[in-house]
Amino acid sequence: MHRLPPRAFMVVALVLLVLAVLLGLLVGPVQIAPVKLLTLWSADQDMDGRVLELIRLPRVLLAALVGACLASCGAVMQGLFRNPLADPSLIGVSSGASVGASCVIFFGGFGFLGSGLGLPAIAIGAFLGGMAATAVVYRLATSVTGTSVSTMLLAGIAITALAGAVTSLFSFFADNEMLRRISLWQMGNLDSASWHRVMVIAAVVIPLVLVLPREGRALNAMLLGESEARHLGIGVEQLKRRLIVLTALGVGVAVAVSGVVAFVGLIVPHLVRLLIGPDHRYLIPGSALLGAVLLLLADTGARTLMSPAELPTGVITALLGAPFFVALLLRQRRDLVS
Amino acid sequence: MLEAQGLSFSIAGFSLLRDIDLRVEPGKVTAIIGPNGAGKTSLLRLLTGEQRPTAGNIALSGQPLGDWSPTQLASVMAVLPQSSRLDFPFTAREVVMMGRIPHATGLVRDTAIVDAALAAVDGSYLDKRFYTHMSGGEKQRVQLARVLAQIWEPVADHARVLILDEPTSSFDLAHQQLTIANMRSFAAQGVGVLVVIHDLNMAARCADQLLVLSCGRIAACGSPQQVLTAMTIKQVFNVDVSIGINPLTGTPLVIA
Repeated sequence: MHRLPPRAFMVVALVLLVLAVLLGLLVGPVQIAPVKLLTLWSADQDMDGRVLELIRLPRVLLAALVGACLASCGAVMQGLFRNPLADPSLIGVSSGASVGASCVIFFGGFGFLGSGLGLPAIAIGAFLGGMAATAVVYRLATSVTGTSVSTMLLAGIAITALAGAVTSLFSFFADNEMLRRISLWQMGNLDSASWHRVMVIAAVVIPLVLVLPREGRALNAMLLGESEARHLGIGVEQLKRRLIVLTALGVGVAVAVSGVVAFVGLIVPHLVRLLIGPDHRYLIPGSALLGAVLLLLADTGARTLMSPAELPTGVITALLGAPFFVALLLRQRRDLVS
Repeated sequence: MLEAQGLSFSIAGFSLLRDIDLRVEPGKVTAIIGPNGAGKTSLLRLLTGEQRPTAGNIALSGQPLGDWSPTQLASVMAVLPQSSRLDFPFTAREVVMMGRIPHATGLVRDTAIVDAALAAVDGSYLDKRFYTHMSGGEKQRVQLARVLAQIWEPVADHARVLILDEPTSSFDLAHQQLTIANMRSFAAQGVGVLVVIHDLNMAARCADQLLVLSCGRIAACGSPQQVLTAMTIKQVFNVDVSIGINPLTGTPLVIA
């Protein structure tokens, strides 16, 4: 394995991000000429200009932010669980978050949600649900010697099943409008992108992506083992609590604005680790960049593959992610045997 | 100096350690020996501050262990656990570099220390190799280099302590000898070394002071010559042995 220097990787990823943003802006059911980009926020817009400003740009930003958020949270979770197979959607955090979100929608009532407070309230519900799920899985799966993959995944299955039951229960009692909103959370989707949503997630993701790499060194030490990290002077309990809160916040908000988009948090940190190594000081920002690129491309695909109909973005990431996950599982099993 | 007085430790009413007095003196190697389940690892967990004793006091350089901040403690006390699992593809250099986390000595100094620590465990050739691709012995050497790097140089004249839990369990003969040499050379710099070891002859060769644990109590304590007698070993391990003299080192040689 040959590694890239982290800086070179960041530059390449940034260039890819710019290209993916441009692609996402210009390609879709309506092809838009690149010149129209110049009419953004100007007074004399034609139809294409308005499509760009009101539909494409918020959607592209939302995809990039959600991708960055899920990928960096995935990288942190894998460090926290000391296991490269942890992913918010596989271990039940996303499901926990979606239960939290459905609770708010159901008990909050629709009138309240029509106001501007609706989305932040859903995000808080999702955050609390996600945090409860992370804490439960962590308690169940982590021991002195590390995290058992099987326990972690089984706990994920249990939480996902429970979350499914609760969500179904809500769906049973919900009226039509609520039903539509709740079903959105089971299928990751970016089609309700709006500037309002972009603001909500940007307010969380941008600080998160700046704060998380600061824990990089401590997370590296955590990979050696909890007691090893403690002997290196890391306040392990505080670190774990902080990381559980931060990742639940990230995943919760991502779920609140886009539903459960699976596997981004698994695939991206893996690719980045292969390219530049497991040092979290670079892995977290690198994952954020590449996560934004990946989800942008997946979303552009979702909008164009069956055009003019639109696939849910979560379907595309799951189609890419599930085989990837199986390949990783097989490889890990082979490593254990040899 | 790391000093423990009247340590007792019990979990759920089950007593694991009783009335342990222990001094890890600067410049000396202290080895703990004893049968499986005698409480050796529990004792290390207390001495490193990982668990609190049910009764008794532990002090490092005269200050109660609990008064040390985690970073302060980590800059003078390095601990090598029995086995470490690391499933991520760090290079040997990156793993050893983690030993420098408690310090702010700068990249240039840290790099020099990592080079020296890897060389000290005969691991220079592992430098850029991935931890996940190494043999058991190589992994253990890299972990040893990491803890050596952690207390490679004194910090503001504080006493340094090196604690190793069975550091040679997967080493070949050459690397066992090298580890003994490393412990001796750290002791020669004034570091207090505490090591849990199973091989009685290794213990006799490397230690200035031997501590025999049996059923959570100290069964014997003193120099290898005082402790390694046929009678003590019969009492503690229930094995008949005869004691000779190692012709190379002059230390007791346990022949079973």
